[in-house]
Amino acid sequence: MKKYLAIFLLLIVGFYLIQAFNLVPFGANRVGNIDDESTVGAYYLKNTVPKTSVANVVTAIVVNYRGFDTLGEVTVLFLATTGLGSILFRKRKHGEEEERVLKESSQLVKIGSRLLFPFIALLGIYVFIHGHLTPGGGFQGGAIIATGFLLMLVAYKNYKLGHGALTWIESLAGITFAGIGIWGLITGGTFLENNAFPGLGNVNDLISGGVIPIIYIAVGFKVAAELTGVLDILLSIKPNKN
Amino acid sequence: MFGDYQNVVTMSVYGSSIALILIGLYGVLIKKHLMKIVIGLSVVDSGVNLMFVAVGYIKGGTAPIFSPSVIDSKPLMVDPVPQALVLTAIVIGFAVTAVALSLVIRLFKHHNTARIDQIKSLKW
Amino acid sequence: MVISPVHYIAVPLLAAFTIPLFAKIHKELTRIIPGIVLIYLTYVSYVLMSKVMTTGPIVEIIAGWKAPWGINLVYNGFSGFIASLMSIMGLLIWIYSYKFKKVDDEPALKFYILFLMMVAGSIGITITGDVFNMFVFLEIVGITSYSLTAFYRGRDGAEAAFKYLLIGSFASVFLLLGILLLYTHVGTLNMAQIAERMHTIPTSVKLSIFVMFAVALGIEAEMFPLNGWAPDAYSQAPGPVGAAFSGIVVKAGVYALIRIIFTLFDIEGSLQFLIVMGLITMIIAEVSAIRQTNLKRMLAYSSIGQMGVVLIGFGIGTTEAIFAAIFLMFNHAIIKGLLFLSGSFLVYNDDKKQIASLSRFGKKLPVVSFLFALGAFAIVGFPPFAGFWSKLYLLLAAADKNLIFLIAIILMVSVVEVIYYLRVVGKLYFGKEESKIEPKKPAFNSLIVMLILGAIIILVGVYPDVITGFIHNAADTLSDKATYISNVLPSL
Repeated sequence: MKKYLAIFLLLIVGFYLIQAFNLVPFGANRVGNIDDESTVGAYYLKNTVPKTSVANVVTAIVVNYRGFDTLGEVTVLFLATTGLGSILFRKRKHGEEEERVLKESSQLVKIGSRLLFPFIALLGIYVFIHGHLTPGGGFQGGAIIATGFLLMLVAYKNYKLGHGALTWIESLAGITFAGIGIWGLITGGTFLENNAFPGLGNVNDLISGGVIPIIYIAVGFKVAAELTGVLDILLSIKPNKN
Repeated sequence: MFGDYQNVVTMSVYGSSIALILIGLYGVLIKKHLMKIVIGLSVVDSGVNLMFVAVGYIKGGTAPIFSPSVIDSKPLMVDPVPQALVLTAIVIGFAVTAVALSLVIRLFKHHNTARIDQIKSLKW
Repeated sequence: MVISPVHYIAVPLLAAFTIPLFAKIHKELTRIIPGIVLIYLTYVSYVLMSKVMTTGPIVEIIAGWKAPWGINLVYNGFSGFIASLMSIMGLLIWIYSYKFKKVDDEPALKFYILFLMMVAGSIGITITGDVFNMFVFLEIVGITSYSLTAFYRGRDGAEAAFKYLLIGSFASVFLLLGILLLYTHVGTLNMAQIAERMHTIPTSVKLSIFVMFAVALGIEAEMFPLNGWAPDAYSQAPGPVGAAFSGIVVKAGVYALIRIIFTLFDIEGSLQFLIVMGLITMIIAEVSAIRQTNLKRMLAYSSIGQMGVVLIGFGIGTTEAIFAAIFLMFNHAIIKGLLFLSGSFLVYNDDKKQIASLSRFGKKLPVVSFLFALGAFAIVGFPPFAGFWSKLYLLLAAADKNLIFLIAIILMVSVVEVIYYLRVVGKLYFGKEESKIEPKKPAFNSLIVMLILGAIIILVGVYPDVITGFIHNAADTLSDKATYISNVLPSL
């Protein structure tokens, strides 16, 4: 009975969503003429290159125009790690070692993972360093690095992660982001203003865009450390013994 | 309603993301296993994210990146704003899923079951 | 560096990122730093509020991009008042919970970070001028609330948190879809510009966007029927967190809902919608409250009922009614804060938090019981306490618009409220036999906070003029939509 009620309810929601989005034709140009700046999208497409020297408009939006959102987003990740630590906290007996649920992998998997790991990390670093030039950025690069760590965690039963190092990376990257924001305030501008360097550089150079690449690199480190931390916490749960 | 080609495309792209949202909601409402509920939540998230990207698409547009080969020709580009928003939405979805999973682990350890009908205070 | 609204967000964030490093130096720092930050935020509120009262609203742009291109913060009479209220409540609850847990216990370190960010996120919801930014802050508040609800191991906190998380996820899905639909029609995310372009959207679309926003924000504002999470979350969360939910988080939800209705949308009947939803919420919550045997659940239902009254106040829509509703929000924050804080000491040693176990606690815990009774009298609206004035103003505003039916229902529900609060107070002082449970003596810092809240209640009750100036200003700013738009977008 409850099932049919739920299906009925869902059909109503679905019909209502289709009605709502039916008036938004797929592929139509809603940005409008780029030169008259009537929508924010048009403004960003027109002004990103001349005003920020960043080739990737999405990066410019994420880090600069809507950088405040991104700061909040990084905070959400940080709070998720903190909350996970608080929810799954367990008192360890004295001298008790951390133990993972996983079984020991075969030698082949171990060696293969160890071979792959540096390349995965390198790809991740490449993605977040070039976030202002090519598709990708801090979040994507950080996630790639975290998959590298996931591979190692799965392959080695007792792979030790430096928890101190993770905390340091997380905190320092967060401080860099918030600190750049406050630096903008101290120098008389607005929060997160892109004014730490005198020039913004040439478009499509590796060093261009002022603080935008620096923030994205910090975000990359932070995301990598946080995702790895989440994976480590979730993998270190002891199963019930019964 | 399906008179011309444009409408068919609109319906199939939006229809698939709305279908994802509904499938996910169905999982959350009906399924009794906590893990399936969490999976339902992430399916809903994917549906919403797909919707964002679909809405930002402009026919014939390229990625909004002024790489050296296109910086002078200024081609038509898709709307960059939904792409930036969806990045935020994905990360937040990840964080919520992580917290949900940790709660599932807590519940499983406490009650020795992950079935919602056997956890008394979760019935509602 | 001039003090500006962004300090409300930037300073707590910087502090939250640094706390894990300071914890390596000395563990005690993890609970001192959030306190210092909250003291600073209270100081910021003082500076900014006096600026707003003399020179008018402050609009701050972020990252150097003028509205609507970048995100902006709007600190006017209304948002400033609520943000100040939140930072003061945050500071008081921090003092209350100072000795709440031993610091060498690892989760204690996380408690203070999560609590600080919950306050900062709620303030962010109120002062932001951008719909998507509001969503981000809503999620910050969400994640911290889920984690704090599940903070205690022994209770059913994880169940309550899971329930809360599921309902909260519905909220974020609907909010995201609403924002997306709004963006496709107006091409902007800035609230002022959305308000200005709202008339270009066809009415049917406007209505469906409105429903999405109302569902999403109604969940945070505890509007019926979306408040299933509230009683569980309130009763399972640690005492100070329950107080923070009703004093800070719910205020942010109500604020967001009101901001959306008054500034963004201009739909015929949205005010009537508020009145109807408020009435249903109030009646159902108060009727449920009278059936509760668990003290914290009773307080939670009463909190939902009060939010219903607030929605009715905003729904009447005249400046006097809005004034009464904002006054009610203020009163609810301090009085419910006091009730939760003192109530959690009364039932501290009872696992089931039963009202029955409070029998004759008036003798064992004289000060706490007295303060609880004071809060109970204040919230049902007895003179000369703070709650009296807000209820009086609300009824007067309703009488002005000839809403006799509404007045009758509010008065009837108030009688229900009086019954269940007096039942608890009666148990405290005139219970039949003495309870076997030994109460926990409150620590000095907790006692101070409760006394401060009690003093505020009496002060506002005897001399309401200390606060009404701010509230009048807040009510005027809320009802003046054109000024909001011209403040944010001066060129238009």
